[in-house]
Order: sequence, then structure tokens, then C-alpha cells
Amino acid sequence: MMNRTLAPETSTITHIDFQSPEIDTLANKVNVYSMRETTDETVRIDFVFDAGSLKTSKVIAQLTGDLLFSGSADKSSDEIEEAIDRLGGFTGVEISTERATVSAIGLREHIVTIAKTVIDAMINVNFNTKEINQLLQSKKKKMAISLEKVSTQARRAFLSDLFSNSPYGDLTQLEDYDQIEQGDLIEFHEHKYLSGLQYISIVGALNDEDLNAIKELGNQFSKNEVTAIEYDYSYTPNTIHVEKEQALQTAIRVGRVLFNKQHTDFIKFSVVNTILGGYFGSRLMTSIREDKGYTYGIGSGVAQLLETGYFFISTEVGKEFKDLTLEAIKEEITLLQTDEVSETELSLVKNYIIGQILEQSDGAQAMMDRFISVETYGLDFSYYDKFIKEVNEITPKEVKELANLYLNWEDFTVVSAG
Amino acid sequence: MVEFERFELDNGLRVIFHKDVTTPMAVVNTLFDVGARDESPERTGFAHLFEHLMFGGSINIPNFDGPLQEAGGNNNAFTSNDMTNYYDVVPAQNLETALWLESDRMLSLAFTEKSLEVQRSVVIEEFKQRYLNQPYGDLWLEFRPMAYETHPYRWATIGMNIEQIQEATMEEVKDFFKTHYHPGNAILCIAGNLELEEVKKLVTKWYSEIPSKEKKVRNLPQEQKQTEFRTKTIERDVPSDVYTYGFKMPGKDQDGFYETDLISDVLGRGKSSRLYKRLKKELELVTDINAYIMGSTDTGMLMLSVHPSDGATLEQIDTEIWKILDEIKSTLVEKTELEKIINKVKTTKAFSEQGILNKSMALAMNELMGDANLINTETENYEKVTVEGIQKYAKEILQKTNCTQLIIKAKKNDE
Repeated sequence: MMNRTLAPETSTITHIDFQSPEIDTLANKVNVYSMRETTDETVRIDFVFDAGSLKTSKVIAQLTGDLLFSGSADKSSDEIEEAIDRLGGFTGVEISTERATVSAIGLREHIVTIAKTVIDAMINVNFNTKEINQLLQSKKKKMAISLEKVSTQARRAFLSDLFSNSPYGDLTQLEDYDQIEQGDLIEFHEHKYLSGLQYISIVGALNDEDLNAIKELGNQFSKNEVTAIEYDYSYTPNTIHVEKEQALQTAIRVGRVLFNKQHTDFIKFSVVNTILGGYFGSRLMTSIREDKGYTYGIGSGVAQLLETGYFFISTEVGKEFKDLTLEAIKEEITLLQTDEVSETELSLVKNYIIGQILEQSDGAQAMMDRFISVETYGLDFSYYDKFIKEVNEITPKEVKELANLYLNWEDFTVVSAG
Repeated sequence: MVEFERFELDNGLRVIFHKDVTTPMAVVNTLFDVGARDESPERTGFAHLFEHLMFGGSINIPNFDGPLQEAGGNNNAFTSNDMTNYYDVVPAQNLETALWLESDRMLSLAFTEKSLEVQRSVVIEEFKQRYLNQPYGDLWLEFRPMAYETHPYRWATIGMNIEQIQEATMEEVKDFFKTHYHPGNAILCIAGNLELEEVKKLVTKWYSEIPSKEKKVRNLPQEQKQTEFRTKTIERDVPSDVYTYGFKMPGKDQDGFYETDLISDVLGRGKSSRLYKRLKKELELVTDINAYIMGSTDTGMLMLSVHPSDGATLEQIDTEIWKILDEIKSTLVEKTELEKIINKVKTTKAFSEQGILNKSMALAMNELMGDANLINTETENYEKVTVEGIQKYAKEILQKTNCTQLIIKAKKNDE
């Protein structure tokens, strides 16, 4: 028998090759990013608009997005869906706080026709009231179901407290659906879709002719200047409990307003976050799941918004473990602030983080996602070189300093629901 | 076309290798031929609980996750009614770390009392989080025992109830390992920018010492043909009603599986499907409706999930659903409609084969079904389906006597 207790040698990753997409700029100043060196027949095209929920009310942004394929003067929603399905196509509409992404997905042989159908439908949509009402019915139902979940209740209470002075904290209420006017949707569509195209991204092996056809589609829109709105991100930490008597578990959210990747401490703080709750072997997972068995899962992260970001710890625990869990979280944070992390643990976390970046850059779509996630913040791929360098350089002393700077319990809003 | 090589060790371990030169990562996917269907009715949820214990340290390595993370990798696992699957994704140069870890836990676990005690609690919290503390979370716990009377599909992978998980003992854990976790009951799939010879060398190095065992012959009580309509109404503290219909259908390697999959697409996949167009868009009886199949190995289910509109009655909705079901039985589906469905299948298939992790899992699962190469012939099997075949299986399956219906009613709190 060989000695199985000895681990095989490993080698660390020192460099990752990032490939930039081709960049074309249309007459209307809209950029088209494309990754065309792919090895299969799949194509995904994203049209990204300045139509996120911050640009209006949450409900209007969401409904406008959901109704983009609901029909025009000469085509019903059924006809549009049928046309896309016939070509084996899929569509997607995703509304974030900042942006709306409209996707055309399919195989190469049909993708241009699919994209044309998608764009034609969304340009000519007439927001007929029957479609609006059907959507409202199903939206209200879905929301009522979601509001029953303790995880939803905790997340909503947490965000509305953290961002009480900005639209990030302005959450949809069921009643909001009853105050929708067709005119609101038409107006939002005109300003933020027809005149709000930001960029197009293409992943798939398109030839030049097909690429040009997609560019033509982009030329039908105009691009507005997105103006950053300065909100007041100051807030007072609170402790909030949302009671749900019959719940078997309590959802917990703990955190604070922080920053996004534009901040100088962002990269190094990501290492601190990973140690605390950013991976399966994190301290929170080890203590609260693997040692105590209070939960199926616990994690922490830094959510990034265009202008700011927030740090959060999130879990659902057995109702009887709520206080014990909060104590244990506090303990782990204090430990990070008082004791230096060992070289062994820090080196594991560094290797893990860089391995994950390698995986998250694997494949054309992943590479495009990496590109967009820096481009959005006015950065470029050199950010990742910096990222790898800073991760490799961080010392136990810096981890402790950052934990003391950003992870103080008295700065945290603590929410429980259940 | 997903190309692959196949080899087998003397101890019975079947290995699939897929070379992908485009990726810097490597995948080690280990599929064990054991799922919730192999549990005894007194110890349901055990295969899944056991999956958790596989991360509690092995005979020579106290911690599974740490060394893999140190190597820049990550891992996870899932249990279904049919199988248990473990996967590791690592930078290709650190492939050996994953093989070291995986082979050691195939050799033997550490079997610590602490690990069992903690994972029992973790799984109980998972039970609460996913099945008891969510609106409609217990739907499958209610539906399965109605639809299946004898086959172990009558319980969900999480188990019938929390008590059975609480009562699991270390002796049962050891027995389960002995019976199901050995080379002859596993399929290992390795993928990445690697050379076959190197893979063979490393797999032999780490796995060939694991003793072989006799593969247990599976002898499950098969479900009898259903001969009566089953329906049940339950009240739950949820905001609105949900209706669920299930029709028994052929298992994955039986005739009629592909036809039935396409029947579910015609009925209720997407916004141009028949049920959606008629019940939602035209009649406004539902706010959502869809159809899908559970791709089970043994007798499966074609499912309809229905969210009624306020004011619509069960009777109205039920009548309209049966009209659509009768139509697909009485009138041949148009060729163009079938083509549409096949086109969607092709797109879905192409996207599902992106990345080495997806490919490795699919190769291993297909090998378990008899041949890894099914990954390459699956689309042909869908293309071979005829409109007559659709009608034949629609007539067979979409019968009232083959239907199980669960009505979840929202409890009224407004007195």
C-alpha cells in the first residue's frame, strides 16, 4: 500500500490569460462586443438598456421588461412566441437595479432571424391592456408567494433599512401593481429602451455577414447618456425582527453599506470576506454548519451596485438557533479582528480565490462576463492582474486591519425573520 | 459530438475520459449507482444523508474540502432518486489532488460520530428550509406517495420525515458504505486538456488498490399499472391554490420515453405551448401553467403544474385541461409543431453541453444508463419520433385512470 496520507504536489496559478472581445462602435455610439471564437453552435446575444429599476419605479421597470414581447399592432404575443419557438430560440429579459438585458438565444443557423424577431417585437410593442392585466395577475400571485418566505422577508427588511435614503431600498409593494397606467409603461419604453441602448454583447461563432446584421439591429436604437445620480448612502444601523409565528426557521441578514470594486480596499476585503463566509470551508460554514449543525448553509458576500455596494451575511437557521447563531457570527468576526489568520489558512484562501477566477474565465461566455463585469465599472482586464497580485500579496496583518476597519458589529444592521 | 475514451480497472471501476483542449480546468466526476430508490422504507433520506457524510473526512485524509480548495478547486454533490453524483473542478495541473481525495473516500470513510451527529442536524435544517418552511414546499412529500404505491419513488430524496433521519445510526452508515460505495458500483469521468496515458497512469495509481466488491443486484418492487383516478385535496397556509397533475410514463430506457417527453413539450413547455395559449392567454383561467417530465430511470411522471386565476374554479380548469389532452389523443400533431419542439430540444441540448462539468456529468449518467455514447445519439432519438408515435403514447398515458391529482387549497384566514 502506498502512503495515502501525503498529498500530491500542487502548483499555484501565477497568470491567467484574459481575452478581450472584438469591439465595434456603431454610428449611434453603441458598442458591440463580440467573442466569435467558440467551438460549438450556440449563440447568445444580449442587448443591454438603461432600463433598470432605479430609473423609474421598480414595478414599471419590471412590467415594461416583462411585456416587451406582448405584441404590436400587427403581431400578437402568441405569434411572436411561436415565431421564436419555431427557430428553437429562447428569449430572456433580466431587470437589475441599473440595467435591463434583453437576450436572444439559439443556434447559429437561426440566430439572426431570432434576434430580428426579438428586436422587431420589442421596438413595436404597444402595451395592450389585456396583456398588461394578465401580467399583473400573475405578478401579484408570484409576489404574494414570495412574500411568504422568511428569506424574502429578511432580504427586504435588510435592503430597505440599509438604503432608506436611496431607491435601492425602495421595494415593490403588492399595492403598487394596482396603480399602473399604460402610459407609464409607454413612456418608460420610449425613453429607456428606444433611446437607451447601452451596448450589445455577442458570444457565438457568427460570420461577418451575421455580425453586420446584428449591428443593423442595434442601429435602430439611440444611446442616451447615463447620468450617475448621487444618493445619500449614509444610514443608521438597526436591529429588526419580522415575526412569522408558524415559521420553522429564521432567516438572518447581517451587514452594512460598503463599496464596490472601484474602491481601493475592495480586492483585499474580498479576501477577508472569503475567509469569513465566502466559500465552503469558510469560518462561518465551519462553525455554524459543520461544527454546530444550526443550518443547511451560511455565507457572506459583497454585493456590488453601480455607485456603491453592501456587505452581507445570510443564512436560514432552525428557529431555536437564532440567538446562538448571531452569537457565533459575532464570535467569528471578533476572532478575525483580534487574531491574525494563520499563513496556512491564508494561503489556502488565496489559492482558492485564484482558482475560482480561472474557472470563472473558462469559456467564451465566461470570458465575456468577466469583461462586462469590469467594463461596467469603467475598468479593463488589467483589473484582474491587479486582483491576482493583491490577493497574493495580502498579509495576515492586513486581514486583521481590514476586519477592524469594515466589520464592526455596531455598524451592522441585523435582521431576522421567522 | 462529444468524443471520449473508456477503460476499466481490474477492480471493476469504469472510467470515461473526455479531452477538451479549450479549458484550463479539469473535472473529476464520480457517479455512484445508488439513490433514494435503494433505501429501505424505514430509513428514507439515507442516501442523501450519506452524501453529506462523504465530506466528513476519509480513512487517510481528515478533511476533504481543504486540500481541494488549496489546489484552487471546488466541489459539490447531489443525490437523486436514482443516483448519487460527486464532482470536483480543479485547475488541470492539480488534477491529482482530486484523484487522491476521491479515491481515498472510495476506499473508506473516517466514520466519526461527530460527523454523523452534525450532518443529521444539517440535513434536518435542509429538510425544513427546502420542504417545510417554503410555500408549497411539501408538495412532493404529499404527491409521491399518492402516485407511487409500491416503487420507492413514493418517497423524496430528502426522506419521508425528519424522524427517520434523526434515527440513523453509525452501523447503518457503515453498512450503506459497504454495500454501495465501491469501484464496481461507480463510474468515474475525467475531463480536461489532458492525455489519456497520463489519466490512465494516475487513475491506476490512486484507484487500483481499492478492493473490488460484488455489485448488489437491484431488485426493486416495480409499480403496477395504475387503474384508477387518484385525487386528494389538502389545505395549506399559502396565498393561492396550486393544482398538480401527474401521469405515469415510461422510464428513461423504455420505449415511449422520447415521445412522452415531446408530448409534455407540446402541452406545456413555453409560451407557444397548447395549455399556455388556451388556458392562460385565451381563457385567462390560470396565471401560469406548464408541463414537464421527471426523467426517472424507472416508471416516471409527466407532470402538469397549474396556478389558477382568482375566481376560476377547479371544474372549469379541469374541463379545459382535459379538452387539450383529448385533442392530442384524437388529432395528429402537425409536423410543423413537432419540428418546432425538436428545434427547441436541439438548442437546449447544445447549451447543456457547454463546459466540461456538464459534459462529464452527462457522460457518466449515460454510461450508467448503459452507454456513455447516448450523449451523442440522444438528439437522433428525438428526431426519430413521429406524429403517429406521439399520438400512440398520448392515448396510452393521458388517461384519467393513469392520473394522480393533488389540489393544494389556500387556507382562508379572513373570518
